[in-house]
Amino acid sequence: MERAIQRPLLKGNSLQLTVDQNMKPKLSKVNALVLAGYGLNCDHETAYAFELAGAKATRVHINSLINRDVKLEDFQIMVFVGGFSWGDDHGAGVIQAVRFKTSLGKKLKEFIDNGNLVLGICNGFQTLVNLGLLPGFDHDYSKRSLALTFNDCGNFRDDWVNLKVNSASPCIFTKDMSCLELPIRHGEGKFYSDESTIERLVNNSQVVIQYSMPDGELANSAFPYNPNGSVLDIAGICDPTGRIFGLMPHPEAYNHPTNHPDWTRQKEELKRLGKVFEMVPTIGLQIFQNAVDFMQNS
Amino acid sequence: MPNRLEITLKSDLFDAEGEGIRQKATHYFGINLSQVRTIHVITIDANLSDDQLKKIQTEVFTNPVTQISSFKPLPVEFGWTIWVGYRPGVKDNPGSTAVEAVEDILGVKFGPNEAIYTSKRFCLKGNGLTAEDTDKIAGELLANDIIQQWKIFSKHDWDPEAGIGIIIPKVKLNHIPAVITIPIDSDSTLKQISDERNLALNPNDIPIIRKYFLEENVQAARAKVGLSDPTDIELEYISQARSDHCNHNTFRGLFRYHDLAADNLELVDNLFKTCIETPTLTLKERKSWVVSVLWDNAGVGRFDQDHHYVITGETHNSPSNMEAYGGAITGIVGIYRDPMGTGKGSKLIMGSYGYCVGHRDYKGNLKPRLHPRRLLDGVIEGVRDGGNKSGIPTPFGQVFFHQGYMGKCLVFVTALGIMPAMVKDEPSEQKDISPGDLVIMCGGRVGKDGIHGVTAASESFSEHTPAGHVQIGDPYTQKKMHDFILEARDEGLIAFITDNGGGGLSSSVGESALFSNGCDIQLEKVPLKYEGLDQWEIWISESQERMTVAVRPEDLKHFLELSEKHAVESTVIGTFTDTGKLHITYNSETCAYIDLDLLTSGFPQWEFDAHWQPPDKRGLFEPVLKEPVDYKTLLKDILARPNICSKEWITRQYDHEVQGTSVIKPLVGTERDVNSDAVVLRPVLDSNKGLAFSQALIPTYSLIDAYHMTSCSIDEAVRRLIAVGANFEHIGGVDNFCWPNIQYDSKNNPDGKFKAAQLVRSCLALRDICQAYEIPLLSGKDSMYVDGHLPGRYGETHKVSALETLQFSATSVIDDITKCITMDSKMPGDLVYVLGVTRNELGGSEYYEHFGYTGLNVPRVMPDQFVPVYKAISHAIDREIVASAHGIYRGGLGVHLGLTAMGGNLGMEVDLANVPVDNIDRDDKILFSESAGRFIISIDPQHKELFENIFKDLPCACIGKITGKPDFVVKGINSKIIISVSVDSLKSSWKEPFKDLC
Repeated sequence: MERAIQRPLLKGNSLQLTVDQNMKPKLSKVNALVLAGYGLNCDHETAYAFELAGAKATRVHINSLINRDVKLEDFQIMVFVGGFSWGDDHGAGVIQAVRFKTSLGKKLKEFIDNGNLVLGICNGFQTLVNLGLLPGFDHDYSKRSLALTFNDCGNFRDDWVNLKVNSASPCIFTKDMSCLELPIRHGEGKFYSDESTIERLVNNSQVVIQYSMPDGELANSAFPYNPNGSVLDIAGICDPTGRIFGLMPHPEAYNHPTNHPDWTRQKEELKRLGKVFEMVPTIGLQIFQNAVDFMQNS
Repeated sequence: MPNRLEITLKSDLFDAEGEGIRQKATHYFGINLSQVRTIHVITIDANLSDDQLKKIQTEVFTNPVTQISSFKPLPVEFGWTIWVGYRPGVKDNPGSTAVEAVEDILGVKFGPNEAIYTSKRFCLKGNGLTAEDTDKIAGELLANDIIQQWKIFSKHDWDPEAGIGIIIPKVKLNHIPAVITIPIDSDSTLKQISDERNLALNPNDIPIIRKYFLEENVQAARAKVGLSDPTDIELEYISQARSDHCNHNTFRGLFRYHDLAADNLELVDNLFKTCIETPTLTLKERKSWVVSVLWDNAGVGRFDQDHHYVITGETHNSPSNMEAYGGAITGIVGIYRDPMGTGKGSKLIMGSYGYCVGHRDYKGNLKPRLHPRRLLDGVIEGVRDGGNKSGIPTPFGQVFFHQGYMGKCLVFVTALGIMPAMVKDEPSEQKDISPGDLVIMCGGRVGKDGIHGVTAASESFSEHTPAGHVQIGDPYTQKKMHDFILEARDEGLIAFITDNGGGGLSSSVGESALFSNGCDIQLEKVPLKYEGLDQWEIWISESQERMTVAVRPEDLKHFLELSEKHAVESTVIGTFTDTGKLHITYNSETCAYIDLDLLTSGFPQWEFDAHWQPPDKRGLFEPVLKEPVDYKTLLKDILARPNICSKEWITRQYDHEVQGTSVIKPLVGTERDVNSDAVVLRPVLDSNKGLAFSQALIPTYSLIDAYHMTSCSIDEAVRRLIAVGANFEHIGGVDNFCWPNIQYDSKNNPDGKFKAAQLVRSCLALRDICQAYEIPLLSGKDSMYVDGHLPGRYGETHKVSALETLQFSATSVIDDITKCITMDSKMPGDLVYVLGVTRNELGGSEYYEHFGYTGLNVPRVMPDQFVPVYKAISHAIDREIVASAHGIYRGGLGVHLGLTAMGGNLGMEVDLANVPVDNIDRDDKILFSESAGRFIISIDPQHKELFENIFKDLPCACIGKITGKPDFVVKGINSKIIISVSVDSLKSSWKEPFKDLC
């Protein structure tokens, strides 16, 4: 990590994190809405990641949003989190998308039109695709033209993957990033569409992250580097504005250096070089930081 | 009019599910298929217009990018097609969510007689595929007749217009609920009725039950509420409460323990009290971190000043043995309700699994209901869906293969939770009920599920008989309830909470009512899945995903509002009182009126004869085995044994890092493929404190002595924690016993007295080692009767009993997770040490088992010698001078040095002459002895002096080093190299057995 991120004061016995002294004091915090309920399950750690990135994160039950106890217009970032919404019974994210379409379609469109950010992680990505918020060609945010379907390996899989970031992509969330490692945990993560849609995604630079080999080259469908058989190794895409981002890997599960599968090895290697394994913010958090910074500055 | 929608993947898309079935048909049955395609069938039994049907078809049930669908049968090609659907009354989770989605998108509400059912159709193609093959695939791979029905069609029989037809698995009971009075004129009458109704009353309890109902003042009080002789619901309640499952009669029994060799008779009165409760309560006095034990649904320990952790474990053996997927998912989802129902409720933070099954490649003559391979597939998937869909990581687990589990498999499930230390200024671990508090049932509805467990399995099925005795857990419904309960807890709305598990409302309400000393229940208020349940069935149904909560009347409104927000059904079903009575009415008529203290008064203690014959007197001996020569092949073969080899395919199916708390993962090393000793979580995200967790089971040692099986299992679980950097001063334990029947019967259980002695010895070991290691038992469960009767080749049946098994789980709090370490070797040049003494202890070892021997010299735990080593290791890890640490477990030093090398993918050179030994002069014994108390540690050479100082006067020796070369090299005690093999080659042997599974 090249630069430290500002974070809320953590209580005793917590991370010794460096605070960037050069950061300008902010007048008001960015508000991030983190969905919860109906079988979603990554809400706590996603909210935590946004808090570390300096946002005020609120976990909001889908019903609270629908019945207007909580108002979408009070937020600048909205996250569709990972989990098994409605048990994922009729295609992952399908019923959640139906619920949003029937109850919040208009509000969601306004939210996007107002220049805010939408992030969909895993089940959230599946929901964005089923809602049609992605790919969002020609500002059409209702057309279902992509699918995240069953992994080719035929099973749910938990593993860490290497990801290559497309520097040409307009994606706000991955700004200045080139590669990263994150965990994947899904049974339906195979990115699929027809050739012309894929071509258009590529041409628009909407392909944001792709599964790669440890050396940075694309996985080229090789299992387990590409864990699910995704077309073109696609792990995450954005809409043409770069403000809507969906990805299968879980950046919120890399919220602490000890989340990384190799951290004990990294620590030992650093020790041999006379260096200390520092509790610096992870590259997973950078995705949240980029979002918060963007909204702060816009 | 009902409609049937068929949905399938577009033909050019890869069908992973179909391909999985195709491969299994080949591997399991040798049936070669060229193609399998899956069709999802949605049967809509509701009054919807054509436009409405079109809308749900396109907007809910068909993905326009990947799928096609039709209300007519889809013309997918096949030679044979198999339809598989649920039997009536089996929980159809996708059917329920389909209703939610349809109601949502159409803005309609389904009536009580409307529903959606899901099923599947598989289209098979293959040369020469026969009806018999197809039926085998249907019955032995795709469907289990306990919960599912199937039909097969050949291409020629298929009507392309009608397809499978319209099949509606709706429960129709056509029964008017009625309470029946049971005559008690004699013990034999009651015994007979108990047998007829599957009440399972213990014959010794019958006189006590009759005496109560014949008492004059009881009769007078009953007459006032319109009752005379006991009702069926009352006897069902007593039966549930007195069952071994609920009351632990075996563990509270009186054991006449006779050591035959010493001719010594000892009376052990109440194993639970003497070996579990008293030692734990004594330790609780000394260990301030022990917060709450031995009364609630789970034990509670302090995590930090502001948080408590919660832990418990149990088994779900019999249901899993009948229906592997359903039993296992119900097991894991069920155990998750225990921490939710502990104190005022805790958030689930992890689960773990333990499977003991027959050999996956079993080809013998015994015919278990499910082949071990199919059974294992099913339990793996059940725990996968139960854990993953609950959003709870499943980072630890074990699998153990042995033919003894062919009679009945073991499925252990363990759950951990966390809760704030205080809830609205009250300690979270405490809960109480005041008279006037409302009895609320939250979560799922009640059907004929789980009533009388497996006895119902022998009943015949009709088209509309609910097949409820084997259930399918519903993690989605429970996850909603979990989130609701936690919010209600934080608002201070929960006075008392407990889960509905075995015994249903009968247990949960019955036990809760003891806190206020009474309750009035209006049974007609309990929401049902379908009409026609008798009152006693509502009362004891084990329908899942339910909690019983006590809420103060003034909090009811807020509680129900939150419940509605979370889309959880909550219903007031009565009021807690202080009358001393359990009073149940149904539409204002009393159907049960019992003194709550009946259950604590006067029931006779169970009694057992336990005869112990020491192993040498039973004819066990050390095998006459001359030293091998080809150690390389031997080591590779042992690494490839099913109980040693890699089971990565299971680990990776489980989400082990949801919640973002993972610190030490189940698989570690450069290629992230070698098992960690234990796992560590960071359950409070903004704290660097950790919770370490491990488990062990070594049932083969029971072949020699269950005392040492138990002590070694505890020792292994403890060493696993120490190896990742846990604090020896804070270790909590959970004991899960699974034992074959110990009640002697000359015909049916001729070795019952021996098995009883094994249980006594196991409990004594639990007491001794937990006292020596200062481990309070935070929770525990016992599961008896792990036996099965299996048909053989000639129509005969065989009783197959499981090995006496204890799974021991251990937890510890880690002050600073950044000091945790993993077992993989780290750097070339690092020094390799062995700590602890290797003894001539190969009895019950993997090495002996490899040759078909049992042996006699079972490993022993010597706390006085071991504890100083464990403390020294903790100290060295805390000083951050340990690069890797790994316990030496099953398979011995050779296997575990190999795993350390494989973890780092680095070479290793060791000299067995330097290994600290006691009375061993052979390389094979040093390599494969399973002596307890030992570790392999690697360190940076610059810490040599400091490290060796810490272990001064302790058994600790440098036996070699990590190298940058590719080879694993072992020098024997005679200075000759006995093994030189590439680490890659070791790893490929270790991965070989299950390498094709994922």
